[in-house]
Amino acid sequence: MLANVFTKTSRDRWIGAAIAGGAISLWLLMGASIYRDIDLSIYTDMPEFMRNLMGIPEGADVGALAYSVILGFAGAVTLASIALSMGSASIAGEEKVGTFGLLLANPKTRTSVVVSKAGSMVFLIGAASLILWGGGIVVPKMLDFETGGMFLEAIIFHLFVNALFYGFMAMMIGAWTGNKAKASGITAGVMVFSFFAVGILPLIDGVSGLARFFPWYYFDSSDPVMNGVHWGHIGILLGLSVLFAIAAIVGVNRRDLREHTAGVTLLDRLRENPRTRKLIERLAGSTRVSRIWIKTLSEYQGLIIIAGYTMFLMMGVMMGPLYAFIDEALLTFTESAPEILLAMTGNADLSTPEGWFQTETFSMMGPIAVMLVTAAIGAKALAGEEENRTMGLLLASPIKRSTIVLEKTIAMLYGAFIVGFLTFAGVALASIISSLGMSMGNIAATCLLMTLLGLVFGALALTLSAATGRVRIATYGTIGIGLALFILNSMLPMSDSLAAYAKWTPFYYFLGGDPLVKGLDWVHAGVLTAIFVSLVALAVVLFDRRDIKQTG
Amino acid sequence: MTPEPAIKTIGLTKHYGDVEALNDLDLTVEPGEVFGFLGPNGAGKTTMIRTILDLIRPTSGDAKILGFDSHEDAVEIRNHVGYLPSDVAMYSNLTGKDTLTYFANLRGGVDWGYVDELAERLHADLSKKVGDLSSGNRQKVGIIQAFMNKPRLLIMDEPSSGLDPLVQRQFQAMMREVAGEGRSVFLSSHTLSEVQRAADRVGIIRHGALIAVETVSSLRSKAIRRVELQFDETVDGSAFEAVAGVRDVIVQNHHVTFSFDGHMDELLAVATRRYTLMDISTQDADLEEIFLTYYRDEESTV
Repeated sequence: MLANVFTKTSRDRWIGAAIAGGAISLWLLMGASIYRDIDLSIYTDMPEFMRNLMGIPEGADVGALAYSVILGFAGAVTLASIALSMGSASIAGEEKVGTFGLLLANPKTRTSVVVSKAGSMVFLIGAASLILWGGGIVVPKMLDFETGGMFLEAIIFHLFVNALFYGFMAMMIGAWTGNKAKASGITAGVMVFSFFAVGILPLIDGVSGLARFFPWYYFDSSDPVMNGVHWGHIGILLGLSVLFAIAAIVGVNRRDLREHTAGVTLLDRLRENPRTRKLIERLAGSTRVSRIWIKTLSEYQGLIIIAGYTMFLMMGVMMGPLYAFIDEALLTFTESAPEILLAMTGNADLSTPEGWFQTETFSMMGPIAVMLVTAAIGAKALAGEEENRTMGLLLASPIKRSTIVLEKTIAMLYGAFIVGFLTFAGVALASIISSLGMSMGNIAATCLLMTLLGLVFGALALTLSAATGRVRIATYGTIGIGLALFILNSMLPMSDSLAAYAKWTPFYYFLGGDPLVKGLDWVHAGVLTAIFVSLVALAVVLFDRRDIKQTG
Repeated sequence: MTPEPAIKTIGLTKHYGDVEALNDLDLTVEPGEVFGFLGPNGAGKTTMIRTILDLIRPTSGDAKILGFDSHEDAVEIRNHVGYLPSDVAMYSNLTGKDTLTYFANLRGGVDWGYVDELAERLHADLSKKVGDLSSGNRQKVGIIQAFMNKPRLLIMDEPSSGLDPLVQRQFQAMMREVAGEGRSVFLSSHTLSEVQRAADRVGIIRHGALIAVETVSSLRSKAIRRVELQFDETVDGSAFEAVAGVRDVIVQNHHVTFSFDGHMDELLAVATRRYTLMDISTQDADLEEIFLTYYRDEESTV
């Protein structure tokens, strides 16, 4: 093993592992404190398939819920994702950016590099698991609830081995293909698919045995929280991990290493096919590069499609039947949920469809989906081209700097309105399918305000991007300010004397006027639009004044 | 009406905090000439180019491009300027053709027949993604991008990096043709030979200050070179030390080697007066020696 490769990889990645361990421990604390205060029947009375998916044991108490839902579900998925991203980056990632050749210019074998990367992955996943273990010990003491008869060490150990399985799987695929996207994509696909299969298959008579062909089965089917370590299952996961590791070493040693490449997309393949060339040439080629905003928008099509699809299907259409399904249980939830939780979802009345959609679709997921798109475009719009050193060429064209800012803003507007419209379509469709009788106008109004709210934060990212030329500052600045304002907007109304200050956050102008029930408040829409326009104007001025950076 | 200079800077100065990247630069590039801008890495060549293109703003001083103010008329200037940045970066997911289409659209169109001609001359492959090209092939796309609109002024920052000798020669011919049509080329480089082959005049920059502007022929005659003389017998070195422009004489049996920046006929007269000259070879001095020469000159005039 090469000590410096191990150290560098660990140093590059430790923060992700530390944040994951810390965040899930915090989540454990928050979750358990809520579980302690509410009637747990909303979880234990859930339909069996949902309980199965979330890994909730029958008749669970606070401790069992906290351990199995937060550690066994969220913790497991998070740790496995970190391992997966480390595994896929370890060989294929270095090839993609062209540093693997540099690394191998040193008198070291490929095997030793792979082993060092694997060592670092095991080390960091182990460290994150230890943090979770600490959280699992401390939280019950802080909140004073029982964990007797539960095996914390067992679930943590299962978590650790399970994460390694996906990490080594991604590493192996990366080692054989040299393609990072393939490595992480296939592994994530296997993980998600097997997670659902293991949750659902056991409920179907006759095929329940099939679950054992999916790796997630060996993580939690033995219910380690209640039953302790299942050495047979651990053995299978560990054995496969070792096989993957060996296969990774073999794979990377027998293959031609790839140089730095741009990657091939589906569009490129269609473009090469003579039958589809003409049509695709237009889409991917001349049309895509006809205007700055169109080119920008095309770069974010993946993100816009994912955000729009999630809002349309998961947060829109599917929320209708789900409401009809758990209507009853929700009533009890509203009565027993802690005030802060209700405040964060806008104090909605969950017994009405409007309240349900406000809580589930609009209070968090909706704004997050729009902001993901607007903030990504805003943050990278100017700073991204500076950091990639393409801004010099762009500005060699006879266009004003303000034109570039405005074209990027147009791309952001399109992205936001596409997600906003798909949300509207999804919720409207849900209301029609499940006969919820919601007002179409009010849904449209809410989606408009949501879009405008997203644009406000996109414009904030754009302004930071214009002022600093640094993508990281623009991204983290926007996330930080957004999160702070969101928490303020949730907390302030809880105090009678401070409630009025919520008007100073843009979030107030989204759901503050209860648009799903009362329709569009033009003043609120006007306030959001005014903030958006002012921020874009500020971005134009700031960008025009500054020296363009030459390097990132 | 006399044509406006392609570039005219007056007292152009750029500071980054305490660092003086450009120091009081006065420079004029005439229409119809290839102007070489010569200096070592970090001398301020790129800073100068980025300043006159309004990518960064001068701390003090002015620049006029084709008679337009570099800041006030920045957009108008770019209608007439083609620019190739040093170490050019482009959108790696676009093909060469897409890239050129994008920039052509931003300029309101381009003559594609001319683009094809340029691509053919440089052996550029425009169908591949820019991110999949080697740096030399990427450079070709950048060069086409700068030439394709037949700009009145071409600004090229280290354009030859990564190009093979054949393509370099083609590229130099292309620059000469531009000058022949009355257009101008501003060619920044750190290699003397490249500038000598293509340029009419050369400006030498070091530590952000312009040391000298010379025509290439006078640079040649002024430039020191290493001279090696071979005779049929052992010679006395002191005879050569007396010739103006000779320095650092080394005598090894039949060979005499020295640095020289004087007149060749004087040297040959001394060399052939007493001895039989068998062979003579000269070698261009490298950039560093030229800088030293100019430094010596500067110091002696102070």
